[in-house]
Amino acid sequence: MISFILRRLVALIPVLILVLVIVFSLVRLIPGDPAVTLLGPGATNQQIEALRQQMRLDEPVVMQFLNYVAGLFQGDFGTSLKSGQPVLDQILLRLPATLELSICATVVAILFGIPIGVLSATRPNSLFDHFTRVFSLVGVSMPAFLLALILQLIFATYLGWLPVSGRVSPYIVVPQVTGFAILDGLLAGDWGAAWDAVEHLILPTAVLAAFLAATLGRFVRNTMLEVMTEDYIRTARAKGLTRAQVTLGHGLRNSLLPAVTVVGLKFAEMLGGAILTETIFAWPGIGRFMFEAIKNRDYPVIQGTTLVFSLIFVLTSLFVDLLYGVLDPRVRRRMK
Amino acid sequence: MRPFLLFLRRNQLAALGGAVLLLILAAIVFGPMVGPYSPTRLDVLNKLAAPSLQHWLGTDSLGRDVFTRVLYGGRYTLAIGTGVVAIAFVVGVFFGTLAGYAGGVVDQVIMRIVDAMLSFPALVLAIALAAAFGPSLSNAMLAVAITLAPQFARVARSQALAISVKPYVEAAISLGLSDLRILWRYVFANGLGPLLVQASLSIGSAVLQTASLGFLGLGAQPPLAEWGADVSSNLQFMRESPWVALSPGMAILLVVLCFNLIGDSLADWFNPRRRSEID
Repeated sequence: MISFILRRLVALIPVLILVLVIVFSLVRLIPGDPAVTLLGPGATNQQIEALRQQMRLDEPVVMQFLNYVAGLFQGDFGTSLKSGQPVLDQILLRLPATLELSICATVVAILFGIPIGVLSATRPNSLFDHFTRVFSLVGVSMPAFLLALILQLIFATYLGWLPVSGRVSPYIVVPQVTGFAILDGLLAGDWGAAWDAVEHLILPTAVLAAFLAATLGRFVRNTMLEVMTEDYIRTARAKGLTRAQVTLGHGLRNSLLPAVTVVGLKFAEMLGGAILTETIFAWPGIGRFMFEAIKNRDYPVIQGTTLVFSLIFVLTSLFVDLLYGVLDPRVRRRMK
Repeated sequence: MRPFLLFLRRNQLAALGGAVLLLILAAIVFGPMVGPYSPTRLDVLNKLAAPSLQHWLGTDSLGRDVFTRVLYGGRYTLAIGTGVVAIAFVVGVFFGTLAGYAGGVVDQVIMRIVDAMLSFPALVLAIALAAAFGPSLSNAMLAVAITLAPQFARVARSQALAISVKPYVEAAISLGLSDLRILWRYVFANGLGPLLVQASLSIGSAVLQTASLGFLGLGAQPPLAEWGADVSSNLQFMRESPWVALSPGMAILLVVLCFNLIGDSLADWFNPRRRSEID
């Protein structure tokens, strides 16, 4: 197992180097002189020169890249052009909000997606199956921003059941311990604050979870339909096992393993969707931070957030690979 | 023609998706020709009018007819979807086929770059690239195409790997045909099926991603009637006139749904295990 982890880590090195090259190149893709573009038309020559030096644009490209990587290893993700604050500090400040939203959405998607997929597969071509297939297709075809607007309109504007946006109500004051609003409310013993955070979380979670639940439902259904044609299922039936034992003990168990990969990869992909969701719901995470940086042409922040999204993506893929080994004895044996 | 008709007969959802898509296509091609309104003509005395017989989907904050803008937006959206996938297809398939056929260092270099590009959430990379290129529809299309190309490269490479060891490729090599000719006539031509499935599945993603960039202000710029940008520019009127922002949004959903219905059925059709279920 350890040698497998080491092999996976070594294989990551060239990919991570190329990821760094892509993120580093983002500023260099700006048409013309990046310093002039970033500062806008009113900038003086001195300001342009100062920014060029700050961004080390006057050095050879290879040196710029090496300095950039060396900086990253020392926790230096650059300085925001807008606020003048270190980018990493601002990302870390917002990361819990994005993780809280993504983790909740993943849990909700699993709770809905897997049972829907299983029930569809056990009753193929039934009314329930047709309904869930259409629901799943609509789910994966729905633009995240459209679903967000519809839910906001119904549940916040018309019915007034849930808040339109934000993470907690302005009158709630809870000391930040973990950065996770619900957890902080619970730790402070303030049930009202925790419930307020839950209410704020419901709509953005529903938007993010819809896509994953739809994808997961489709995937589990298709995998289970394939698994249920396998010889060992026939054997299980021939042994006299009940339908539930065959479906849950053999069908579902073998279908869930590939679903782990889908959940892992879609969790990371969902972070991309978080940019839209966080922007619409004014959710103070790194997705919204990236959007504001784009509006302000704050390239160090765009680079920093892009890199963090990519690192989460890569680490999630690695985690999924390892989890696969833990869950499936056959994979574990191959690893040895 | 017969396999195509057979496919439609066995895949009623794909047939439905195709029929709706054809209707939408007819509407966006011929609709603006017979419609009385221009997508950019202002009528401030009639702004934010509710849907009526004169204005089927109402008017926006500048008095422009929403239905006309949705029809014009459809032209951009379909052009964007096919254009983005065409760029991604050409670039991805070229490098993927080359990697699979050449092998060795060429394969390693190309596939590591592909792996690196796939190490970003697609929308994040598209947003970052579009932000770097500058906000415009063509830049947004290029950014989305760059994020989709690695998927084509992966499929093309696996096809090329499988096909390049086939006897007919060995025969072509023995006949002294050039590598380029072998790649084009044998490797690419015989691996086309799964690539077309990938293309049909990608059009929906391309439309969604480009609309998302438009929504964030990184794609089409006003007054261009692009669906994502139209949703975004009418957000402030959601409370009193929701139809203005929701109409282009629902149009995106409908088009992407149709493409996904077709793509899904094609994927099943080309998958022997799933095809036996359909048959």
